[in-house]
Amino acid sequence: MPVDLTFLLPLVATTFGIFLILAVSFNLEYGFGGQPNLGKVFFYSIGAYVAGALTAHALWALAGSPADIPFLEDAGGVVRFAVARANPGAMLGLFVASLVVAALAGAAFGWLASYPALRLRGDFLAIVLIAVGEVTRVFVFNYEPIAGGVFGLSGVPNPFAWLPPRVSDAVYAVVVLAIAFGVYIYASRLTRSPYGRLLKSLRDDELASKVYGKRTPRVKAGVLMIASDMSAVAGALYVFYVQTVYAGDFIPLLSFIAIAMVIVGGVANFRGVLLGAAFMTLLDLVTRPVFPTFFDLFWRPPFDMNYVRYLVVGLIIIVVLMFRPKGLIPEQPVETAALQVARRWGKPSTAPKPTANAPRRG
Amino acid sequence: MVDLAGPLLLSILLGSLYTLMALGLTMTYAITRVPNFAHAEYVTVGGYVAAVLALGLSGLLAASGLAGVAVIVLASVLAFAAAAAVAVGGDELVFKPLTRRGATSLHLLVASIGVGLVIRYILSIIVASYDLLVVRSPIDKEILVTVGGAPFTNLHAWVLPTTFGVVIGLHVLFTRTRLGKAMRAMASNFDLARIAGIRTVRVRRWTWLLAGGLAGLGGAFWVINVPVVPETGWVILLFLFAASILGGFTSFWGTVAGGFIVGFAEIMGMSLLNQLFGVSLSYRPMIALAIIVLVFLLRPQGITGLTMPDFRALARRLHARLRPAGRGT
Repeated sequence: MPVDLTFLLPLVATTFGIFLILAVSFNLEYGFGGQPNLGKVFFYSIGAYVAGALTAHALWALAGSPADIPFLEDAGGVVRFAVARANPGAMLGLFVASLVVAALAGAAFGWLASYPALRLRGDFLAIVLIAVGEVTRVFVFNYEPIAGGVFGLSGVPNPFAWLPPRVSDAVYAVVVLAIAFGVYIYASRLTRSPYGRLLKSLRDDELASKVYGKRTPRVKAGVLMIASDMSAVAGALYVFYVQTVYAGDFIPLLSFIAIAMVIVGGVANFRGVLLGAAFMTLLDLVTRPVFPTFFDLFWRPPFDMNYVRYLVVGLIIIVVLMFRPKGLIPEQPVETAALQVARRWGKPSTAPKPTANAPRRG
Repeated sequence: MVDLAGPLLLSILLGSLYTLMALGLTMTYAITRVPNFAHAEYVTVGGYVAAVLALGLSGLLAASGLAGVAVIVLASVLAFAAAAAVAVGGDELVFKPLTRRGATSLHLLVASIGVGLVIRYILSIIVASYDLLVVRSPIDKEILVTVGGAPFTNLHAWVLPTTFGVVIGLHVLFTRTRLGKAMRAMASNFDLARIAGIRTVRVRRWTWLLAGGLAGLGGAFWVINVPVVPETGWVILLFLFAASILGGFTSFWGTVAGGFIVGFAEIMGMSLLNQLFGVSLSYRPMIALAIIVLVFLLRPQGITGLTMPDFRALARRLHARLRPAGRGT
């Protein structure tokens, strides 16, 4: 059996896109801003809950809120899928609206997270944020109105559900990739701007940047907001991809995957992030139960392949921290206009000296 | 009528278990500066060792009283040893080299997450391969006496004396022995301790051995109550952090108090909320979060050294924060 590319490519592309957004946002916070947001999964799940709940309820309203069909059970999901297939315009509008609302909600929670971030040391902040993520998961898992509680909320259709099945997956994958690269380019432009240098100065020496009159609390809150709305968008995209919201999905391991992606490539470095996200996508694919069937292998190990995935994530974190603390691609000097000029003249770090063949002014 | 006796006994039990397990977390943070997220996995390792051992032996020994005692003792000792070995191994392979290279506390925290993942998933792969993913220890909770309508079980009879003994033992260790004094010296000033000739590497090894072992011991008792799964330790970890942080994260008696406060808040607090206001018991983990966040934001040094004026100051701060803006001074 040849590998079914119409199945494989959208899967890989969507996973890569979501991982890339997560890695970019963690890199922005941790790599540039120095804020160890180990509760990444919290902001991701906020996006997922907001987008899932909004879409499901809106479609339910479009279906006329049938009283005889239970909202949470599979029958309700079927109704919502039918509505989405019948109304392409409404579904696309809902998709865009969900992304916007998820981003806003993510930013709002990022702003809230800046409250502890301004008051705690790095390791304590990390503990608080991990705890917040865990407890939110427990809460939503037990509190049905948000995301269906234990059963999850099924029937959040793919925004292109009105296309034929395989086509809709492919189109959605392209949309996810486009959003991911948009985020990537935005973040890399942002960090090359003076704002990026401000972030780095904050990370390296907060006192010094205060002395230069920078308003460090505002910058910290700002970077947390930007990164959190990115994570929330990633969560929303994930929900439309798997088409259900289930609180049990948002385990802290996802935050740890984000850490591994960023430190393996190298912090404060967007080429490194691409590398990390690509690597993690590959790992994710290889450890999926469906993977051996691509090669007509139907042997199953006696354990869940997820264990191997997380084992590798743990090993990566340890090995990189111990032997390559700067990651595979170390941090580059900030790309400023002055640096570009200096590079044209020769060595980047030494002050440019006008020589006989140097361009003359005027 | 509000039921108090049942939650009270359960709180004491849970508080003891949290204390037992959180002491190691405090020790490794205070002495070696590792905020150790892998601590959860020592609990899981201890739990699996104890449960599997009890399962293996239950066929050999009839479930008579003495045999049961022997099984529990053997299981506890082996759980202690296994978890201690894992903890010391993790430190020797990861934390010690990283500390030598000048890693910050945050780097050590991230590394400990990696260590935890590796331990947890190697363990998962092993137990899944032997089809032991969810193990229920054959030692059951038995009601020995009923106190005020509440059951006093064999678990109480095991855990309470053990925790008491461990706390007293550690107190003696820290105040009467060279090793314990060396540990305290390292906790208060590492460089000075080293200059004074303390063999920091050896003390470090003992610290991790005790920390891991106590967590494993806690795990061995934990599985008498509930089946052990690979996530057992992770679920408990937040409560352990809450206990340790409540005690100031570096204080021995603070952790003891913190463990019991967390246990009481979780069981008594939730049970009262449940009986009086109908809050579902499944929200129990939120108590741990509330404790972690409030302590970090209001009093990062924990509850140790609190005096009456401190309480008044705390109340004033809370009051000032809750008051609507723009009124008063």
